[in-house]
Amino acid sequence: MTGAVRTSRPGLWGGLMIGTAAVILALRYSGAINGSTAYILAIIPIVFMFVTARSLASARNPGCGPAGNRAARRYTTGMMATSIAYMLGLGIAIWTFKNLEPSVAVTWGLAMLPIAPILAMIYVMGRYIVEEQDEYLRHRAIIAALIGLGFVLAIGSFWGFLETFELVPHVPGWWAVPIWAIGMGLGQAWQSMGQKMDSSDEE
Amino acid sequence: MKNRLKVLRAERNWSQQALADELGVSRQSVNAIETGRYDPSLPLAFQIAEVFALAIEEIFLRD
Repeated sequence: MTGAVRTSRPGLWGGLMIGTAAVILALRYSGAINGSTAYILAIIPIVFMFVTARSLASARNPGCGPAGNRAARRYTTGMMATSIAYMLGLGIAIWTFKNLEPSVAVTWGLAMLPIAPILAMIYVMGRYIVEEQDEYLRHRAIIAALIGLGFVLAIGSFWGFLETFELVPHVPGWWAVPIWAIGMGLGQAWQSMGQKMDSSDEE
Repeated sequence: MKNRLKVLRAERNWSQQALADELGVSRQSVNAIETGRYDPSLPLAFQIAEVFALAIEEIFLRD
């Protein structure tokens, strides 16, 4: 069963996800590509994100009971669906806002297009913690979520005060969720590294 | 908390995966408990004791 862990290689896919996202961001902020191109290219790290989530799920639950597998499957499916909805919603909202000069009422509706999938993502993460039957995996997910929360609080406070004293530009509040997700990912990676170092399995 | 899980498992020639299957948990869970990185809940500790047909205090020891 450990073969599944070795062949799923979540670290490789996670690295490709972060690497491609970093390259796209660097190209965008250096002015090499425009916003629309960056938006289209964003599909690459998102595809890697799906692959990472799938490989993590297969690495996480070898030999686990059906309930545990079910929780991981529902988590992966839910994250895929909400990520696609987020990308589509964001694209439609930005394009419509910039090109069609919508009324205030319609703009409220447009703003909801990326917001609703984000709320759904948070629900999917919460549901995984509730449904995961393996107490150690649930413990790991909670620790990772707390690490993500620590990132949000630390970076938010740090940047917020720098912003108050006009040392850095304003950053939109929606960055809270991506920063939380990055912190959570790093938290999972840190725990996986600890597990690998301590691993004493003979198989 | 220390435990004798690895020794007991070796005595029975069970792999971590086999014990995990018996307990209905992931192999990582067994590994984390064996290496002392995670202390199981009381229900899981009772389940482990049942699988080895031993009392909890024969498996888990105070530091």
